[in-house]
Amino acid sequence: MTNTTEPSDRLDVAEEQSAALEFTRFCELSAVPEGSKRARKINGTMVLVVHTKGKLYAVQNLCSHQDKFLHTGRVRNCRITCPLHGAQFDLATGKATCLPATKPIPTYEVRVVDDWVEVAV
Amino acid sequence: MNIRVKFEKGEARCPDAPSTQEIIARDKVSAPDWVCSESYEFLGDEDISIDRYIDPAFAKKELQTLWKKTWQFACREEHIPEVGDYYVYDLEHYSFIITRVAENDIRAYYNACLHRGTKLRASGTEGCASEFRCPFHGWSWNIDGTSKNVVCDWDFPHVERKSMCLPQARVETLGGFVFVNMDENAPTLAEYIGADAMAHINKWKLEDRYIVAHVTKVIPANWKLTMEAFMEAYHVLETHPQVAPSNGDANSQYDTYGEHVNRFISTLGVVSPHLKGRISEQDVLDQFTVGDSSMLQGADRKLQEGETARQRMADMMRGMFEQATNTDLSAVSDSELLDCFSYTVFPNTFLFPGISLPMVYRFRPVKGDHRKCIYEVFFLRPVPKDGERPEPACEVRLEEHQSFTEAEGMDPGFGAILDQDTENLLLEQEGLEASAKPGLTLGNYQEIRIRHFEKTVEKYVFGK
Repeated sequence: MTNTTEPSDRLDVAEEQSAALEFTRFCELSAVPEGSKRARKINGTMVLVVHTKGKLYAVQNLCSHQDKFLHTGRVRNCRITCPLHGAQFDLATGKATCLPATKPIPTYEVRVVDDWVEVAV
Repeated sequence: MNIRVKFEKGEARCPDAPSTQEIIARDKVSAPDWVCSESYEFLGDEDISIDRYIDPAFAKKELQTLWKKTWQFACREEHIPEVGDYYVYDLEHYSFIITRVAENDIRAYYNACLHRGTKLRASGTEGCASEFRCPFHGWSWNIDGTSKNVVCDWDFPHVERKSMCLPQARVETLGGFVFVNMDENAPTLAEYIGADAMAHINKWKLEDRYIVAHVTKVIPANWKLTMEAFMEAYHVLETHPQVAPSNGDANSQYDTYGEHVNRFISTLGVVSPHLKGRISEQDVLDQFTVGDSSMLQGADRKLQEGETARQRMADMMRGMFEQATNTDLSAVSDSELLDCFSYTVFPNTFLFPGISLPMVYRFRPVKGDHRKCIYEVFFLRPVPKDGERPEPACEVRLEEHQSFTEAEGMDPGFGAILDQDTENLLLEQEGLEASAKPGLTLGNYQEIRIRHFEKTVEKYVFGK
């Protein structure tokens, strides 16, 4: 017998997981229009929200290379570049895509509720 | 019976087949001057010595001579659209940070800290900087190359800050390409390319295109050997049998311009002279392949009585490409839409200004290994009519064992052609190393680009 999960079951699981996450209001959606980014501290964590290519991403606002802020870095093709030494990270996965960084940065769930961007940190 | 007619050296052309110019002259939308011209010159018929491909000492000489004195395509302007944007260009152990200092001021800094030499930016990277700061001790430079900070400068009273600017290579732009040259005494890029070829390049407006795909792969062969695999259509019949039914291969046209530029025009939508009488016009249309065949999906591929495959293909391409890419091709000739225009800009760049095969190739030796090279394929597409320039595609790096068909953004049919091209190269590299014959033998016409290219290699390496 194979162990399968029906799509409806998977949806329930996803909803449960989402419900289990604690989301915090980050900023109004209008404060991060397409092509922009915004940084703030949530529960002691430096968070950067990026709005690019029609999607919101939330990542740690610190480079994994030498702990410098990322928020003034260029975003292109859903990657952000550290302005100081040039490390680059995939906004969706947090993966370091080039040297000098070798470690990923944390990513966070992000959603929009009542025109507010909310992040689960 | 195969009869060889006597010609002066270099004057023979594919017999019993229309010339490239005759094919193009029949098109409905006529071609511009740069297409309708010829510039062939016989350059000798002696063998080309093989040491240049197999001797590591020759590669070392190239590094000190050829690579230090020639204009090289480093990046596209679209890679660095804003002030502070940068792109790292490497050539063997040389490395440059190409950065935009002001709207019309692009510079190439030698990529090394002036303290203890650490690279200021890692190779193969790009991004945006407000300063270039060394990750080791924090010495930093403004984007205009002037010294910004020397940490603990009390310990460096012997350092003259004003003279601690980042050293630069020369930079020029052309058609949206950024070229660099390490030689302060080199001719200008326009002089280097020459007036004739410059007139061609200026017509193409390649600055109005953007990179829609960028694929990189290491090829197990010398960089010159690899480039030369793309300099003739002579290999099409054997290497790309699937292409020959719709490619004027043996009757392609070959031209040289000055020392640094050469080209071929290889017509599409016509049957190869090798297959004459064996292929129908409908077969030609059925075999038609372009760099991005998804644009031709759903096309009516049934020819009417008396209709030629070439004309149908031109009409089809014009409509479907315009629609798929939101561009205006009304002023583009049938030949520019269909044919393969392959230009080499010495030493390592190929430009393909056509629409059906809109590539740029770049070749660089792998650091410390004369038997390997880095081959890059860029596909360019016209910027959409609404003027909004899409971001250039990210580079996809293939492993040596991977097929080009696996790369994101690569048309499967075109990827298969590149696989066929590059699969020959290891055999050629190893064959030259195993050979009892000390030279390559070249055809006088179809392989003139290789001879022209190698003559320029010799000029730089031996000062000939």
